[in-house]
Amino acid sequence: MAEAVKLSPQLTRVVSHFKKYDIEVPKSLLETRAQKPDLSDFPYPLPLKKKDYTCFCETDNGVFWYGGKGGVTRYNPNAESIYDKVMHFASRRDLLDNNVAALVPDGDGVWVLTDNGATHIDMVLMSMEDKAYKLLDETLTYVQRHSMVSQKHLSEAGNLKSILPYGHSDNDGTFTAGFAIGEIFHYVTLKRELGDFADETIEARKVAMRASEAVLLLMYIAGRGDGFVARTYLTSNEPVPDDGLFYKKNGATAVCLNTTDARQRGVVGFEIKADAPIPERLRRLYTCDGFDDNDITYKGDTSSDEITLHFLHLLVAHEFLGREDPEYDELLKIAAVNTATHIIKNNYALREIDGKYTTWAKWNLEYFNTAMGWADACLNAGQLLMYMRVTMHLTGEKGIWQETYDKLIESGYHKLTVKHFDRFNQVCVQGGIGFREDIMYGDHMLACASLWGLITLETDPELKEMFRQAFRTWRNSLAPEYNPGYDFLYFLSDPDNAKPDAERIKTWFYRFNVSRLAAGVSLDKRRDYPVRTFKGGYREVSALPPNDEHFIAKYDRDPLEYKNEDSGGALCVESCYPYTFAYWIGRYFKFIEEGKN
Amino acid sequence: MDKINRLIGNAHLDPIWLWRWQEGCAEVLQTFRSALDRLKEYNDFVFTCSSAAYYKWVEDIDPQMFEEIRMMVKKGRWVPVNGWWVQPDCNMPSGESYARQALYSQLYYYEKFGITCKTGYNVDSFGHNAMMPQLLQKSGMDFYVFQRPGMHENDEIPENLFWWDSADGSRVLTYRLPDGYASGGVDSLRRRIDELDKRADDAGYGLMLFYGVGNHGGGPTRGDIEFLKENLEREGYNELEFSSPDGYFEDILNEFLDLPSWGDELQHHASGCYSATSLIKALNRKAENALAAAEKWDTVSSIVTSSAPCTKEFEKAWQKVCFNQFHDIMCGCSIMEAYEDVKESEGYALNIASESYNNALLRISRKIDTWIDGVSDPVFEERHYSGADRGFPRPVVVFNPHSYEVELPVRTYHPSKAVKDCDGNEVLFQNIRSSRSNDDHLDTLFVAKVPPFGYATYWLELDSEARAEKEISCEQNFFMENEFMAVELDAETGFIKSLVDKKSGAQYADENFLAIPTVINDDKTDTWAHNVFKFHDVKGLMELVSIERVESGALRSVIRTKHKFNDSYLTQEFILAKGQKTLRVDCKAMWQESFTLLKFAFPVGGADEISTYEIPCGYIKRPCNGEEEPALNWADLTVNKDGKRVGLSVMSDSKYSYDCPGAELRLTALRNVIFADHYSDKPAASFNFTDEGLNRFSYGIYLHDGEAEGSDIVKEAHLFNNNIAVVPESYHKGELSQKECFLYTNLDNVVVTALKRCEDGSGDLVVRLYETKGVDSSRGYLMSKLFDNGFWFDIGKHEIKTFRIDRETNVTEVNFLEGIVK
Repeated sequence: MAEAVKLSPQLTRVVSHFKKYDIEVPKSLLETRAQKPDLSDFPYPLPLKKKDYTCFCETDNGVFWYGGKGGVTRYNPNAESIYDKVMHFASRRDLLDNNVAALVPDGDGVWVLTDNGATHIDMVLMSMEDKAYKLLDETLTYVQRHSMVSQKHLSEAGNLKSILPYGHSDNDGTFTAGFAIGEIFHYVTLKRELGDFADETIEARKVAMRASEAVLLLMYIAGRGDGFVARTYLTSNEPVPDDGLFYKKNGATAVCLNTTDARQRGVVGFEIKADAPIPERLRRLYTCDGFDDNDITYKGDTSSDEITLHFLHLLVAHEFLGREDPEYDELLKIAAVNTATHIIKNNYALREIDGKYTTWAKWNLEYFNTAMGWADACLNAGQLLMYMRVTMHLTGEKGIWQETYDKLIESGYHKLTVKHFDRFNQVCVQGGIGFREDIMYGDHMLACASLWGLITLETDPELKEMFRQAFRTWRNSLAPEYNPGYDFLYFLSDPDNAKPDAERIKTWFYRFNVSRLAAGVSLDKRRDYPVRTFKGGYREVSALPPNDEHFIAKYDRDPLEYKNEDSGGALCVESCYPYTFAYWIGRYFKFIEEGKN
Repeated sequence: MDKINRLIGNAHLDPIWLWRWQEGCAEVLQTFRSALDRLKEYNDFVFTCSSAAYYKWVEDIDPQMFEEIRMMVKKGRWVPVNGWWVQPDCNMPSGESYARQALYSQLYYYEKFGITCKTGYNVDSFGHNAMMPQLLQKSGMDFYVFQRPGMHENDEIPENLFWWDSADGSRVLTYRLPDGYASGGVDSLRRRIDELDKRADDAGYGLMLFYGVGNHGGGPTRGDIEFLKENLEREGYNELEFSSPDGYFEDILNEFLDLPSWGDELQHHASGCYSATSLIKALNRKAENALAAAEKWDTVSSIVTSSAPCTKEFEKAWQKVCFNQFHDIMCGCSIMEAYEDVKESEGYALNIASESYNNALLRISRKIDTWIDGVSDPVFEERHYSGADRGFPRPVVVFNPHSYEVELPVRTYHPSKAVKDCDGNEVLFQNIRSSRSNDDHLDTLFVAKVPPFGYATYWLELDSEARAEKEISCEQNFFMENEFMAVELDAETGFIKSLVDKKSGAQYADENFLAIPTVINDDKTDTWAHNVFKFHDVKGLMELVSIERVESGALRSVIRTKHKFNDSYLTQEFILAKGQKTLRVDCKAMWQESFTLLKFAFPVGGADEISTYEIPCGYIKRPCNGEEEPALNWADLTVNKDGKRVGLSVMSDSKYSYDCPGAELRLTALRNVIFADHYSDKPAASFNFTDEGLNRFSYGIYLHDGEAEGSDIVKEAHLFNNNIAVVPESYHKGELSQKECFLYTNLDNVVVTALKRCEDGSGDLVVRLYETKGVDSSRGYLMSKLFDNGFWFDIGKHEIKTFRIDRETNVTEVNFLEGIVK
């Protein structure tokens, strides 16, 4: 394992917006006369055209700030990293608009006057751990819904106070599992570093356990008794959107509600068993808010995405929470057994109320041999193998899981895992589009999760090597993201080939936004990032911008995409897990460590 | 029996081979006429033909027929393939050449036919470098068809269909022709379709059968088509269908096949072709470098001085170079007379390069402020400057076309008593023997340090008193050294007897002498060296005739050796200059040895040897098995010596062939065999030989520690091949400073190969660069005063990137087609 990358506290952008004549806004900002900067010998790429810079100022620390038609550029000639030499601040995330009229220094930061008001840009010294806590606090305060964390919607852009109290995500299970895994590693890192009884450790365990329970609840909440996993659930105070299959629980059964998808599938009004018991400690997640089982409407048609992160969560929760809480461990085991059994009994698929497979949870050869499933097969084969390995590991039994695993190997599932790039690329060529424009970027996390889980648990050296090879087939699309959330799992899986890039790892954490409040950021005025257009019209930038200069997203988007809007739209606050997942896994496995500035 | 085998009616045309280009041109016209007639006669027949150069001939000579072709292309009946100017040799052209092959051809097809080619098609080329998948993809092609090497030459390469990967991650769907690109006659076709049927059953998918008279053109005949039509559906056989390579690849992708992949080059077929006919090799290298440098400076000049860029002229010049990269030309296996034509057309290209280069440099240099108060006469009165005659120093501007700073000796044609840079600092210089036989016999050599892609002005105080006989006298020893290496030649043999890398301390000649001119017997093969892959039959080593030290100064030392072998002579000047990492050897060979190769052997010794060779925009490692290997500017042997990993690279200005038998690297400098001798037994008459007579060439020796790719060999070899320009100037006022950098990148592992105007006339700039060391790199930037400022880029290992910058300084990343094809 490579030496840990030492992270140090960094000046981190924190912005506050004001009306032009707000009392907080210094008079000097309104009165200052803009002076055009001389940028003729500027030594680095400038975000805007030189002639578009109209004003500048210098702050005490020898940092220059340039404003113009397109935002504010900060130039620190003494910055240690090339990534930090030139920073850019643009609307809407950092500025009210991009027409900068004046700049006035204020400590390490500046006041910025634009058409629509004034912005204070503060550069706050912050450790990466502090950032993790700040982000976590925002998520726990604003984002979580019944302890699930995906994102929350707003009624007014940029205003956290305008959060809507309801709103689900199709992938609440996936995203919350990612969050829970990050928080479990948070807990065990503190436990190792501070001891079991430190306040911080106790608090971290509480957060981790609650998130873990929220994920696990989804494996029980349908109450079908057959291991069917719900995508998410709503309580009776939340509106049911016309987006998928929803089942309203009512005593011993649940009825499928009238939605477009339900009508298309012909299952409106269908009833299904819903009385399988839900463990009381999980029920508490909604009963504590005054809801009972009949207040629950759960979402079905669950996908393989959900199941994959559920199983990785089961593995991590078992290792770190279950081992110290046998009662909870039993719940994890039962969930694994039930869902794995469902998949085996249903020809390697999730089966819905009508007896047909769900749209996106199919791991059988029947699906793999379809035009759609041919390229999916490589990812899905690894997922199913991982589920079996995790179930064996949790239960400590081989039984049907080993039998199934052996059958899958006999059917060539292991060989399918290494064909990802071959098949995916072939489908792209067939479709006349570029490789990068057809990637489902959410598959990156699924590949990392399933292959990391599989490689961790696999004992046969040949199979282990084959799964490592499978992981390498994903690097073509994973590596350009330099995302430690993916890369740490890869390094753990393939330590001999791991080549951590310390500079990129630092930059990813240092430049991660300190808030997940959506706002969007303008790339279209920038001259320093070339744009490339693929055959199908998809656009990317030719260099990966730092996190605080491109849109925000979950682990499901291409960070190189040429895009001005955050992936959840402008009316959104995202959860913190893209950061905390990477940070705490990095800390736990000592890829990173906190140091002094 | 449920598969469809596709019949590809095609005409493989060699525009030059056993005939000159005029005959090739006529052959194209006749073949295209015939193909059009067949297309009209048979509604389901489809015709395929490559090479934009041929279509251009038809357009220029027979516009009516060209229009007929346009109509057939529109209907999908005539399918142009290979979006390159010709079917080039796929080993020796530079990466930039492949970009130009694509640029001028695909844009031609786009303009004339509204399409670009999807399939690369080099069915006759004699081997295919490992970067081809990337070069094809960036040319706009996803598919590839090749034939050589055949299964008998390399059975490790997958049969039929496979995915071919280059080291950057690009891949193309590739079809290996199993049974030739041409056939004629019913008997042959009957046999081939039966064999194809069996092969398709074995493969599990349909295959392609190429038919049509080839080489000297012809294409499918009525007899071929009639026969095939009768056999499209036969009981018990797979179906046959008239199609094109494009159609085949598109259909086969729908079958969701798990195909094998191949991540290596496709070699070897004609190993003698990397060295046969030194003339074309030298002209190609020279033209490639001259055009690239000229176009860069022409572009700068057009911005700095608002002059009109020579984009159209460069297009014509590059088309000549591209044409001469046709495999039978570039590989030196055409008839001798054809090379007279090659000299003419390469001369055309070189002339465009030199004129535009000179014009551009002078336009720029005349805007440099070189004025000195007190100098009233800014023009020459005689050969020397009037200003200089009155004690004023002479300004000389040195231009560097590389994207990295260079520091090397440059020459001006008169002696000096002092040389200063533009800041007034004295720089190292040496008056050296000129090539003139009159006046003082002296030139000035001085060390110029020039910014990346920029210029620097130096000031020379001329020395009217200097005389060669006074200045040049040498103590006769044969040892030279500088900061980087120490070299000693053996007085008995003239070979290198000691070669020490001062950084690593490694002695490369501890086991054997080095740089041994070795004569190899080559009388068992033809011009191609068909079926011969190693040249190891040593006739003898050249014997020393004389050795003398001819220069020994502050800046450089030169030792001259003269060797002989029978009636052949070789003169070498070993030149080691201060601050230079490369020992340069300028060679003059008077060669008379028939059926021989001349190799320079470097038996370095050591263990764990790895050989590395430059390929277009990259490098490749090959086994040290003694097979003859193609390389661009350099090859390298890296070994373990005394517990250290050290390497010796050999570069050249005009050679492309090396071998590496174990821990020995050998540069093949000459190959003197009969022109266009194709599988013959013995010569029946007195023939002309490919390298007989006078040959001038240079090679260089570069030492490094670690592996080759981690060293500076790419930059050293490119510099060796592309000397910086020296422009004597006069005294004038100007708006430009005396030193300037127009473009640079922060990444040490990136070189810029092109700076040009976009072909669409928009005035946009195009910059092309590639990664040299095989490492993924991020946060690269390219800065330039030519377009407002600069931009960031990430670049993968071995990746080629092309950027287009518009007048508003918006930057887009494009492929070789410059974003023109939508």
